[in-house]
Amino acid sequence: MGFLDQYDLAPNIWDEMYDHHQIRDHYQKVFHSLEQFDVSALQQKDRLAGELFMNQGITFTVYSDDAGIERIFPFDIIPRIITGKEWDHIEMGIRQRLKALNLFLKDIYNEQQILKDKVVPAALIASCPHYTREVFGIKVPHDIYVHISGIDLIRGEDGQFYVLEDNLRTPSGVSYMLENREVTKRIFPELLAASHVRRVSNYPLMLHEILLQMAPAQISNPSVVLLTPGIYNSAYYEHAFLARMMGITLVEGRDLVVDNHKVYMKTTEGLEQVHVIYRRIDDEYLDPLGFKPDSALGVPGLMNAYRVGNVAIVNAIGNGVADDKAVYAYVPQMIRYYLNEEPILPNVPTYELNDPEQRKHVFDNIEKMVIKRTNQSGGYGMVMGNKVTPEEWVKAKAAIEADPRSFIAQPIIKLSTVPCFIDGTFQARHVDLRPYALCGPQGVQIVPGGLTRVALRKDSLIVNSSQGGGSKDTWVID
Amino acid sequence: MLSRIADSLFWLARYMERAEGLLRVTATHYLLSLDKDVNGALTWQSVLETFTSATPAEIEATKNQTAEALKLLLTSNSNSNSLKVIISKARENARGIQDYITKEVWEEVNSFYHLINQPSLDKRLSSYEAADILDMFTRHSVLYTGITDITMARGTGWGFMNLGKYIERCFETIVLTNKHYQMNHYKIHENKDIMQWRQLLMSLSGYELHLKTYRSSADDHDVLDQVLFNEDFPHSVVYSLGRIDRHLQDVTKRIVSEENAALMRCFGRLYSKVKHTDLDTLNNQTLHPYLEDLRGEVLQFTKLLSQQFFSYA
Repeated sequence: MGFLDQYDLAPNIWDEMYDHHQIRDHYQKVFHSLEQFDVSALQQKDRLAGELFMNQGITFTVYSDDAGIERIFPFDIIPRIITGKEWDHIEMGIRQRLKALNLFLKDIYNEQQILKDKVVPAALIASCPHYTREVFGIKVPHDIYVHISGIDLIRGEDGQFYVLEDNLRTPSGVSYMLENREVTKRIFPELLAASHVRRVSNYPLMLHEILLQMAPAQISNPSVVLLTPGIYNSAYYEHAFLARMMGITLVEGRDLVVDNHKVYMKTTEGLEQVHVIYRRIDDEYLDPLGFKPDSALGVPGLMNAYRVGNVAIVNAIGNGVADDKAVYAYVPQMIRYYLNEEPILPNVPTYELNDPEQRKHVFDNIEKMVIKRTNQSGGYGMVMGNKVTPEEWVKAKAAIEADPRSFIAQPIIKLSTVPCFIDGTFQARHVDLRPYALCGPQGVQIVPGGLTRVALRKDSLIVNSSQGGGSKDTWVID
Repeated sequence: MLSRIADSLFWLARYMERAEGLLRVTATHYLLSLDKDVNGALTWQSVLETFTSATPAEIEATKNQTAEALKLLLTSNSNSNSLKVIISKARENARGIQDYITKEVWEEVNSFYHLINQPSLDKRLSSYEAADILDMFTRHSVLYTGITDITMARGTGWGFMNLGKYIERCFETIVLTNKHYQMNHYKIHENKDIMQWRQLLMSLSGYELHLKTYRSSADDHDVLDQVLFNEDFPHSVVYSLGRIDRHLQDVTKRIVSEENAALMRCFGRLYSKVKHTDLDTLNNQTLHPYLEDLRGEVLQFTKLLSQQFFSYA
């Protein structure tokens, strides 16, 4: 089919397939293979992919009336391609960033040198809602705080990758990275085999290895569990998926009990000790005695067991201070401070709104800015300066002026576009990239690929699944 | 194994067995109801009374309408024991233990769930496709059994699944048998009218076995012999109890405790009550209390079992 006829490119946007003159080299093979299919064959593949997700139960529930309707997360069948060279650059950048962030977390919960040297303002940390005094001075195994991260990258008009945000608490989506590849194996088997795509499938084994290494040293056969909020959580599928792929037990808070500073699970044969908890529950719900007293998801007494080192918790508690969007602005300084290196992956310029001068600059140029809440994710609480109506802006402005520390602003960056198969045609849509990095005692490991999230609405820049986003398989090819 | 997982495995298996029982009874009844000349008009009353939560008035209104009865039994949301509700519950249990059961088992339960939730189903059930749909569901139910058998690991979890499955089957046989003899006023020594018993035997997949085994006899009580005491009949009460006995050993053998011993004694009393009863002692006075007793004791045993293993919340 005529692939390029309908492929409509906006000016001043980096398209990953087409450079406004010709198809980029690394897209050639896929492009020519796709041209061999007619529309109905591609639609058939699209349907097949949908059925595969549905039958595996990779769904989320939309509640309308009293009946829950199950939907799949939209999946676009055309892979997003990154060259090996680009990937190696990304990998180096993420490795450097995580090294610095781990050192920062260790520092901030112990000596606080970086505050004393005034590289990061103490007021910024003191006012961060995720700075967790309860874990100050706690020693964590191997000094690793961020075991699992999902750092969001975007590609600007210049083709350069930027870090958009650091997700260092309980990043999700890795199961989609893995399942997307499995589905691609079914719908484009020849193409996948011919393209020599780097493998992602060993992620669960790498993660399992790291979890085992977090156990207290004297334990020979540690018991590792994955703690989930339960089947009503929107990421429950992923929790079950990872537990199954690693062969560890999936537990809920009510399966665990703490006795004498040790954590146990309740089994048919009595209590059995747990040494490592990979938790997918937010900090404030983990222990009703330490944090939110009305949390039914957590385990009373867990914090004490953690404090004395009888149980390892992955990721560490209190990481939110490092992925706060206002603290994010200081990560380049952290890299220089702790590693004496220049950042490999640049940040997106970020304006702190509690600085009156920067705030004025943002307010004067609001049509070019996006304003975000510092402690929100999922695309909630965002103000896009070019879309906001005057009434909305008056309201948002009042909220910002009342509590400027909770907001930051960034220039609106036109994310790069890739081809998507939509309504029987190929259309350009904006994407980001979330590679999943793992930190263990041996260093940082990153599976080549990650999750490409795509804004399926035309011209939308918001890729979050809660706001009309979908995903794509991501290929790193050499 | 986690108590919560044991609990969910037990109930997953129970609900899936219940679904299979419901499907066999419904399919049998549907096909027999097409032969209007057997016993006059065959109504859905007994099936609706046994398998639905419908009120007597609703049953009265539905019992002569095949399409409505099928909807109530299979796709209704208001009947808390419809196939749809049972499968949803099975799936909820499977969902909470997705990491324990195999991917294959989960996918089968999940696709069964999506099948029963197809919006077009009600319409097709009132058409000539009804028998096909019943067949399709029955096949899925059998497929689930096969997939479970082939892919699930043996051990404690397998023990709990089978306890759930055979406890459910045991109940089903007792309740169905009771219902049929009740309709016959518990007369067990009449001349055999096989047509009358065909419904019960086919619902329990035992009709062919009956024809082969009891060929020469002409007495109604051999139906009772088959459903209660025939060791070779996989839906008989004694067969189910034999299986429960075996799987109870599986889940208790690693721990010696007074609670486990009490559980074993409770089961022993129940098992011997079936194993050591003479068919001749059952007559139109004793049969009804005997079946009621059995039901009560299975219930009591199930209660003890869940207290012993499933208390976690």
